Amino acid sequence: MNSYTAPLWISFKTVLATTAITFILGIAAARWISRYTGKLKPVIDGIFILPLVLPPTVVGFGLLLFMGKHGWGGKFLALFHTSIVFSWPATVISAAVMSFPLMYMTTRGAFEQVDTNIENAARTLGASEWKVLYSVTLPLAWPGVLAGTILSFARALGEFGATLMIAGNIPGKTATIPVAIYFAIVDGNMKQADILIIIVMCIALASLALLAYLKRPKPRDRGLIVNPVQSDILHAGRNKNNHS
Amino acid sequence: MLKVRINRALPGFKLDVAFSVDGEVLGILGPSGSGKTMTLLCIAGLLSPDSGFIQLNGRVLFDSSKKLNLQPKDRNVGFVFQNYALFPHLSAGKNIAYGIRHQPKDEVNRRVQLLIENMGLNGLQNRYPRELSAGQQQRVAVARALAPEPDILLLDEPFSALDSLTKEQLEMQIQELRKFYHGHIILVTHDLEEAYRLSSRIAVYDAGKIAQCDLKDKLISSPVNQKVARLTRFRNFLDGVVTEIKDKQVWVNVALLKTNLQVAANGHKNLAINQAVMLGIRSEHIQAVPSIGQNILRGTLNSSVENLALINCYFDLKTNINSIYRLETAFPKSVAPSLSNGSSYYLYFPPEQLVIITG
Repeated sequence: MNSYTAPLWISFKTVLATTAITFILGIAAARWISRYTGKLKPVIDGIFILPLVLPPTVVGFGLLLFMGKHGWGGKFLALFHTSIVFSWPATVISAAVMSFPLMYMTTRGAFEQVDTNIENAARTLGASEWKVLYSVTLPLAWPGVLAGTILSFARALGEFGATLMIAGNIPGKTATIPVAIYFAIVDGNMKQADILIIIVMCIALASLALLAYLKRPKPRDRGLIVNPVQSDILHAGRNKNNHS
Repeated sequence: MLKVRINRALPGFKLDVAFSVDGEVLGILGPSGSGKTMTLLCIAGLLSPDSGFIQLNGRVLFDSSKKLNLQPKDRNVGFVFQNYALFPHLSAGKNIAYGIRHQPKDEVNRRVQLLIENMGLNGLQNRYPRELSAGQQQRVAVARALAPEPDILLLDEPFSALDSLTKEQLEMQIQELRKFYHGHIILVTHDLEEAYRLSSRIAVYDAGKIAQCDLKDKLISSPVNQKVARLTRFRNFLDGVVTEIKDKQVWVNVALLKTNLQVAANGHKNLAINQAVMLGIRSEHIQAVPSIGQNILRGTLNSSVENLALINCYFDLKTNINSIYRLETAFPKSVAPSLSNGSSYYLYFPPEQLVIITG
């Protein structure tokens, strides 16, 4: 693996793992908070969104303290004789924390757009909460969920500050594309920087194109939309025949 | 049989009702915000009462004293929402099949096909909800609710968003429904005529309480209080005092209009002399007659509004305090006298149409 493909491969693994984690956690958190009615709702909501408003370096520093030797997370991992600071999993943790708010916010917004009556109809038709989620809420909120997934994917791909704080720049181990670009430029290695920049731009444009493609109107949403009242008059003859 | 006792308090509103339904259509009639929909949500388990008891065909669905609260999915209650709440991402056929999807495929297809025929939805099976008219959507919603053969069908203002032609057709459909669905039905509405046409018994809601629950004919002929009378379209009310009771006839002195009115007091056994009562009469029961006599008062026509079949007239009656009493009548066009504003007319209050309201 050379100095071009190594950051690519690391970023690929990191972004894949991160997107999977934020997808599941983001949906779970959005579902939970949109049904939670307690007093702490704004506080919890704020904590979930916090990484989005804080400078990434601050989040990275916080993670470093938490995951370091003297932090709770670090002490917990020490029980298993392991540590993740400056290792590959740290790139996933920093990217996941930074991209989670985008997934959570977008998905939550999409869930809240779903008509409660439609979910309630499913419940009265014998659907469990789990069934309601995957057969009604998710399909109806899908464009929003998808947008959240692609946004958090892009955010994970571009993650730099927090990753640098907690994962560092270990070539072939924790150096993701953005980190590699930064250090290539610092080292004056412009050729490597250029190639990595072009690759990142291609991925970013491709994900935007994918987003546009997936959000295009489906066949069932196109075509004949008749004013209900008008169409009742159109169908009146047929309805009468059905009655007789 | 469905037995319901529900208590639920919200800031500024308290729902406190108890009733039962047994193999019939119960109409729940009341203005918006009187707790009608909340009652249905409690029965379906979509909302939890603060306290109470709900039992359906012997199964306890909710019992606050035993902390028992069955989930909506386990209640076997069919619910038709006001906005129908169809699944927009599923075709009409798949919407109907949603509640029975765990059954064998042949059985699902058979039941869906049967409901499609019964609800007059032939040929619409593969359409998505947005490709259906409002009336068709409503029929899909009813078919979907009926597919799992619920013990009770709850209809939440099912006709409120429809034009009158579609409404008539769908009302017929609901009546037809009794041929193949024999469970209990609760119909929530704010339309008296709709409740009267479709249900056998009507519960009148007023600010979270049941003001009266009776067979529909009893309800419209003897409202227990003025609120119920107003909701059942009594337009004219007169305060009076009972002066004489003889056989089934009661005379009531209406001091305001300086007159004694004779009333047929069917069913009113516990009236007493000098008891203060209120008389109510519907606008369509007042007749115009050629000359003065018992139960006939003189009024001056103030204004009139012509409707399709009736003419609504507003008469001014002289009172003992130098003010006027505004009386509303509705004459069928065929028997209406020639009307000119400012002229006097003799107005007859038939004794059998005057209703004594004691509450």
